[in-house]
Amino acid sequence: MRTFLTALGIAVAVGSTVIFLSLGEGLRQAFSSGLSNIGPDLQVSYGPFDATSLTAVPELPLSFMQELEGDAETYGISKIIPLMLYVRGGFNPSNSFVFQGLPPAENISDVYYDYQILQGRSLNATDSERRVAVVGQQAAERNRLALGDTLRLNPGNSFEIVGLAKSAGGFIDNAILVPLQPLQEAIGIRDRVTFFALELSQPAKAAETAVLLSEAYPELGFQTRSDVLSLIKQGIRISDVVRLGISIIALIVGAIAVANTVLMSVFERTREFGVIRAVGAKPRFLFGLVLSESVLLSLIGAGFGVLIGRLGIIVVNNITNDLIGLDVAALTLRLIFFAAAIAVFMGLVSGLLPAARAARIPIAVAMSRE
Amino acid sequence: MLVTVLNAQLLSKIYQDPAGEVIALKDFSHNFTAGKMTAIMGPSGSGKSTLLNVLAGLDVPSSGSVWLADTEISKLPERERAELRLHKFGFVFQSFNLVAVLNAWQNIALPMGLAGVSSADRHSRATELLERFGLAQRATHLPHKLSGGERQRVAIARALANNPEVVFADEPTGNLDSKSGAAVLDSLLDVAHGGRCVIVVTHDPRLAERADVVLQLADGRLQKPVVDNAPLTPS
Repeated sequence: MRTFLTALGIAVAVGSTVIFLSLGEGLRQAFSSGLSNIGPDLQVSYGPFDATSLTAVPELPLSFMQELEGDAETYGISKIIPLMLYVRGGFNPSNSFVFQGLPPAENISDVYYDYQILQGRSLNATDSERRVAVVGQQAAERNRLALGDTLRLNPGNSFEIVGLAKSAGGFIDNAILVPLQPLQEAIGIRDRVTFFALELSQPAKAAETAVLLSEAYPELGFQTRSDVLSLIKQGIRISDVVRLGISIIALIVGAIAVANTVLMSVFERTREFGVIRAVGAKPRFLFGLVLSESVLLSLIGAGFGVLIGRLGIIVVNNITNDLIGLDVAALTLRLIFFAAAIAVFMGLVSGLLPAARAARIPIAVAMSRE
Repeated sequence: MLVTVLNAQLLSKIYQDPAGEVIALKDFSHNFTAGKMTAIMGPSGSGKSTLLNVLAGLDVPSSGSVWLADTEISKLPERERAELRLHKFGFVFQSFNLVAVLNAWQNIALPMGLAGVSSADRHSRATELLERFGLAQRATHLPHKLSGGERQRVAIARALANNPEVVFADEPTGNLDSKSGAAVLDSLLDVAHGGRCVIVVTHDPRLAERADVVLQLADGRLQKPVVDNAPLTPS
């Protein structure tokens, strides 16, 4: 019973660690699949791109668009699409909307490769001054929006839903696509956007082109897809450390439980160990025996912990799917290996003291123990 | 010709106690020979178990020496004493001291496993010992499913697993009824008369009556005379 309870304690500790760390794995997967599929060969921001660039007020002057168009041939730019992001916040994430303004004449598939219309129609050239919107599938489901409904951006500015769309990356799914000009008018910023999306005639040279453009336009930031991805991954890595730090507390408690159980077991089996030593076992045999029992106990606990973690991940993803339409947690192979490695480490550390005690106890004393 | 297997010379064991020194064993000397069962008798606290532990290399003497042929085992480091116990000595204890989670067969095979005996040899030797001690039908039984006499016979079989030169037994009949005790005693005499040196610590007068040599201990000292019941053999 004591061993079972200890294994359960380890299972809970490892399970909570798996759930905590799975959040990073899920986000990493979501962003990797999403960003690797979405459009621009180069993204242009005003100043360097950082974590606030996605939510800040649009500040990239449209005048740079003309300048870049003038240099298009020099730098191999085949297309420039201005994009405006505007977040209309709510009290919880499910009530928040991300409006994405873009020229309706542009082919949206150039920006989002997996863009598909599910109902109604997409934006087209005739929508440039119309207040119409294409809503992502999950945003529509969460907020029970249908074709013909009206979205209110702010008092006096509403957009009629003309289409529902989806994309595999999950970005369109939660976005509201509107024509650029009406969005600019609605928020009162006519001469600025959030980004330019650049298509290059030689996408493989995106990194080199970004360097050249940065020299020519020092006030602008040029990011390749991997730049954007690495910035997001850096943020996830920082959160990994924080979450691991929290998990370590649970793991330390689990390790103490293992040490206690194994130590008690060594006390109870002192006579048995004495017999084994008497018949000729060397101290290191008992040391290895106790240490391997400790590791085995931790591994069994970790196995159940991974199962608990898996169940927890399902619960977490159900909740986050309702809130923001994303699976933020994922159980990856490397997370399972990490849990196993933690269990082995925990078993080794916890078993050292009991193992050393088992190996050191004098045989005559052990044999006389009742 | 009597062959000395184990030789004790002026063995003493002194324990430090908060109340002062406790002399458990004082100047014990004796030659233990092959082919004989030697019983060590004496009242509780006379130093019998201490003597057995020191002779078997489970403990070290405060002074004096124990020799197995040309090897002074009392001077060996623990690692080498463990090796010696594994290959040269066998043990039988009062409380049987079988490993509770191993069945009869596995308990007998344990010393062979520790000695690195191959799986096939372990199997044939353990099976042979089980049959020799009438335990063939009990091979897969865990110790708690065996009677006291059966457990002690498993312990004797385990003691013989690695063909030891010396078998030590500490009160082997102490926890047994008279019938089981007699069977265990027969087994130990068989082992001794088969050419091994058997040293038994006991309170049991029946065992002392049938032992070849009887040593009496009192207050850690060997009492004279030593009783030798063994028939004279031509030298």
